Formats: sequence, C-alpha cells, structure tokens
Amino acid sequence: MKGKKLATIAMTSLLVGSALSGCSSGNEKAGSGKESTNNNGKVEVTLAGWGGNPTEQKLLQQTLDEFEKTHPNIKVKYEVISDQYMDVIKTRLVGGEGPDVFYLDAFEAPALIETGVLEPLNSYVTNDFDINDFEKPLLDAFKGKDGKIYGFPKGYSTLALFYNKKMLDEAGVEVPQTWDELREAAKKLTKGKDVYGFGVMPELARLYYLAESKGGKVVTDNKASFADSKVVEALQPIVDMHLKDRSTAEPKEVGASSGSEMFGQGKAAMVIEGNWAIPFLDETFPNLEYGTAEVPTLDGKKATMAYTVAYVMNKDAKNKEAAWELLSFLTGKEGMKIWTSKGLELPSRKSVAAELGFDKDPLRAPIVAGASYATVWQNGTNLPIIMNNFNNQFVSAFLGDRSLKEALKEAQETANKEIKGNE
Amino acid sequence: MRKKAWREAGAAYALLSPTLFVLLLFIIGPILFIVFLSFHKVQLLGATSFEFVGIDNFKRMGGDLRAKIALWNTIKYVIIVVPCQTVLALILAATLNAGLKGQKWFRIIYFLPTLTSSAVLTLIFMWMYNQNGLINHVLAAIGLPTYNWLGDPKVALSAIMAMNIWSTAPYFMVIYLAALQDIPDSLYEAAELDGANALQKFWYVTVPYLRPVTSFVVIMGLIGTFQLFDQSYIFSAGSGGPDNSTLTIVLLIYQYAFKTLGTMGYAAALAFILALIILMATWLQRKFSKEESLY
Repeated sequence: MKGKKLATIAMTSLLVGSALSGCSSGNEKAGSGKESTNNNGKVEVTLAGWGGNPTEQKLLQQTLDEFEKTHPNIKVKYEVISDQYMDVIKTRLVGGEGPDVFYLDAFEAPALIETGVLEPLNSYVTNDFDINDFEKPLLDAFKGKDGKIYGFPKGYSTLALFYNKKMLDEAGVEVPQTWDELREAAKKLTKGKDVYGFGVMPELARLYYLAESKGGKVVTDNKASFADSKVVEALQPIVDMHLKDRSTAEPKEVGASSGSEMFGQGKAAMVIEGNWAIPFLDETFPNLEYGTAEVPTLDGKKATMAYTVAYVMNKDAKNKEAAWELLSFLTGKEGMKIWTSKGLELPSRKSVAAELGFDKDPLRAPIVAGASYATVWQNGTNLPIIMNNFNNQFVSAFLGDRSLKEALKEAQETANKEIKGNE
Repeated sequence: MRKKAWREAGAAYALLSPTLFVLLLFIIGPILFIVFLSFHKVQLLGATSFEFVGIDNFKRMGGDLRAKIALWNTIKYVIIVVPCQTVLALILAATLNAGLKGQKWFRIIYFLPTLTSSAVLTLIFMWMYNQNGLINHVLAAIGLPTYNWLGDPKVALSAIMAMNIWSTAPYFMVIYLAALQDIPDSLYEAAELDGANALQKFWYVTVPYLRPVTSFVVIMGLIGTFQLFDQSYIFSAGSGGPDNSTLTIVLLIYQYAFKTLGTMGYAAALAFILALIILMATWLQRKFSKEESLY
C-alpha cells in the first residue's frame, strides 16, 4: 500500500516536472526570438516570404548574401512560409510574432494596409532611393487611402501567350493575334483528349482582364458585380471553348497541377502564363520548343494582367532602421538587379529594366510589352472574398453543370452577402 | 475522523491539480472564450477590438448560403461515412477473428492506414485520384467510366468519403477485435447446439453482444466526421471548391477565423453551433440505441 502511494507521488512529480520543464524551454525559445541583437552585437532582422521554386530561393539568398556583405552589422533571418502564406502572416501579426519585413501581394494589400499593422514608409525615403524610378501603377498598388506608401514592389509579372512551335507548325496554324483567331487555332490544334489546343486556368486572377474586356466591371464600390451581362458575355467564349469546341481544358482535367506544367507536358498547345513559366519550362522541359506572343486582342484592344509583390515593414518591427536598410536594399537598384537578373520577375524600376534589357530578349519581349496596358491584379479590400466565390462557382459553369449567367449570379450574391456580413 | 477526510481530499486535489490546471487552461478556458467571442464582433489585426453585438452572429447564419452548403455537405458526409466505416470495421474484425492463417500479419497490415498521418494520406490519394492516376487506370481497365476526381464538383466529396472510410475503418476494427475476444465461447457453443449456422451465429450472438462497442464506435465516428477538416482543406487548397462541393463546417470556420479579417466572432458562433449539432446527434444516437452502457 505504502509502496503504491510512493509510486503515485513519484509519478505525479515526474509529470509536473516535465510539464514545467516543457514550459520553461518554450519560454526560452520565445525569448531568443524576441531579442533583436545577438552575441556579436549584430542586429537581427527577420524576413519572411513564400519560398517559390529552387531558382527563386537561390536568387534571393544571393541578394541577401550581398546585403550582409555590404551591411556587416545586420544579420538577416530569412523564413520561408511555403503554404497558405497570408493566413500564417495574419496569425503571426495578431500574436505579435510577425516578421520585420515580408512579402505582400498587391491583391491582399488594401485590406492589410487598412488594419494599420504596416509601417508607412514615406519618412524613410531618401533622394538616393529615387522613388520616381518605380513604375507608377505598381507603386500605386501599395498606397493607402491616406496617400502614404506602405510597400515597394520587388518586381512584377504579366501574362503572355505561350505556344508550342512544333504543334503550330504541324497544324499549319499562325500565332493567333485575336481571340477569334485563338479559338479557331485551338480547334485545329486539339487532338481528342490527348492534346488540347488551349489550356486555361478557370480563376479570376487569370480571367479578370478578359471579364472586363466588354466594358463590364468585376468589382464596383468594393462589391462584386461580375454577374453583369457584359462580364458574362466576355467570359462565355471560355466556357464554350471547353464545352462546345472541346478544344480547351483546365490543368486538373489532364492531371497537371498548373498551366505551365500542362503546356510543358505537351497536353496543351497554347496557354496564357506569366514570366515565371519561362525558367520553369527551361528547367523542367529543356527540349520543349516554344515561343511567346502578346495576349490576343479582343475587339482590337490589348489587355493582360500584371501581378506585383512588395516588401512591407511590420509596424512592430524591433529595429525599424535596420529593417528599412534591408527593405531599401532589396527594392533598391542594386538589390533589384540581382533579384531580377534571371527574369523570374521583371524589374519594377525603370532604370534596372533598361539595364537588364529584357525587352530585347525574344521570349520576354511580349511580357515586357504587356506592362504598358496591363491591369494590376488588385481592387479594394474585398477582392479576396470576391475571388474565392467567383472561382468556386465559375467552375460549375465551366464544367457545364449550369449556365454561366446562373453560376455568376449566385456567386455574386454569395460574395456580397459575405461582404455585407463583415461590415 | 473529519480531519482525516479533509486531509485525504486535500491530497487528492493536490494530485489532481496538474490535470485540472491543464484542463482549465486548454479545454474549459477556450470553450468559455468561444462563447464570449460568439456574441462579439472581433477585430484582432491592428487595433484589437471586441464589440458586443448580441445574437447578430447567429442571425447571420440564416442568410449565409455558404453555411447552408457546408452544413449540407457535412451531413451528407456523416450519413454515408459513419455507417460504412462501422460496418466495414465490424466485417474486418470478424474475419480477422475467425482464426485465419497469419491473421496477426493481416491485423498489422489493416491497421497501417490509421498510423499514417491524414495529411500524408490525403496527398497520396490526390496522386491516385489524379486524372492520369492509379484509380482512373484501374477503373478504365475494368471498363468503368473514369472521373475527374479532384476537379468535378459532383464527385469530389465522394472521393474524400471513400478515402476516409478506408483510413478510419481499421481504427474501429481494432476496438471491435478487442471486444470480440471478450465474447465467451459458451455462447457460440449454445448456438451451435441449437443448430445455428455461421451467419446466424454472427447475427444473433456477435452483433448483439457488441452493441455497447458499436454505440461507442458510432459516437466517435459521428464526432470525427462532423469535424472533417484536413482532408477537404488539402483537397481544395483551403477554398472548399470546386463549386463549394468540399466545403465543410469546420473548413468554413477556418476561413472565417483566419482568412477573412474581422470575422473571428462569426467563426466562433459557427463553432458553437457545430458543438450543439454534434451534441444533439450523439444524444439522438444514444436514444435510438437505448443502450445504457458505460461509454
């Protein structure tokens, strides 16, 4: 009996002990993360981004190495958030554990700026930084309602038409200049279920410019308005190409995970992708012979999308001066030159763009040309909700379960109800 | 005497205190906090604010189409998965208990899916469900139609159902196996004397004897299936698509809590309602099975 009692006490103390030691080690960890200086008297700045592909990570590491060489008193702690980036960033900001400097997509920017968790950067800017060097539409994407700048774009991407040279030659098809030509070409290039003429991502981020091409608006007054008959009319051809012509497929239907993969595997003769596809295709499918052209025109008008990502600073950054040093290097002429040297992203600074000369590269010229007329993927604080509802229900029309008009009408109602509930 | 009783109680509480502390901090505390949150409009990012809004969050559910879809998807999922996995678990357990050769090995092999993390399982299944994946190849080989499992709203939820039945049935199988060992042989002997065949023995001896265990299995199954999240989250990359077909209540709660800014209160209200639904489903199950067991 006595022995049993002793054993119980021993077990309990063991459990309590381990629980306590668990706590204390947890505290230590949190403590060391909070400290901004380490033993060598160096200042530590945390930087977070999504990883991207290995080429992208190598380039960023190269840029950071250069920064640490020129700024010996600052140490950069780079953290990769590989999945659900915005969810993680938001949760960490709420918990007061946000990184000092991080990536922010233009599309998410208005909502995050509005919450007031970002540091306005105007007061840090010096003449050397040369703010007028940035492409204006890209810089404007990170301006708050108060007119202050909350982030500097690290680069941008636009969409262009990628075509498989061999397939076009075999079918005797010219590179399409208009959407009507593209539709005809897609029909000729399709070979049953093995090769589709055109690969499309049924997502708002990729179709936004097309949706607005007939004069309708996807977003009006920060609310969804994509059930507009003009938007439906503009998007109907995509659905028809899938259901009637059977010349178009989404990557999932052929077992690919992205448009560029579908294109690389030879399951689509044409896709509309961004400059990120070029290094991907060169590495994964080195034998593929392909060309690029500007996105086909609709009713004689040119249109494409531009996507941009900025570096922003956390308002609660421990050492804002050091954080600005890093941010201004990464978006400065020197840092941007290293970062954009491989053309993963195009330089958002005019001077860097001129120096790197991507407009003379035959594959990238159409992508650079798109920048002058592209629509920036951003529209108010509610675009994430609007996009989610659009993507969810557009698919049902794309697959032929109901008419496009019906699907978009319901998606718009759902989105606006959600927006109203949030107010 | 009284002093002794006090001392004993004191010692008991002292020994209980670590557990009580952990329970209060990590279980009871969050439950109360959720109730608090569900009556407030909560803004966590930037200037943190809690604004009392009464039952607005609950009223909002009435007009929320996505909440209705999520509830319907979840109920469909529960109604199909719980009976299937229970029956499958029972059949698996009965065959393993029949004294086959090498049944220990089968037991281990059957149990493997349960040991694998659900996220890894989902990723593996997404490979197999791929348009050019294993499952479509097998279907085509035996002359059945193939499906776009991941992209077609009509089959996406069924794909998740099949996967989950396959992976959770073995877990309940082990529980059934343990219970099967407990059935006294004398019952079977008596049945044999009465001239019962194998099927009759199973139906009239095994199944009734396992009733308390079945009750436990169904309740655990109900709770587990109502909380479906990770599989549909990975399947749809967090969106609940295609066409909201894999949107479940917990996924919706996640979206409102972490994706949209400032809807933590509504998410809490949804979580509260989900808890009530599970409680009610469990209560109904108990009432129908009329088994006052120790579970």
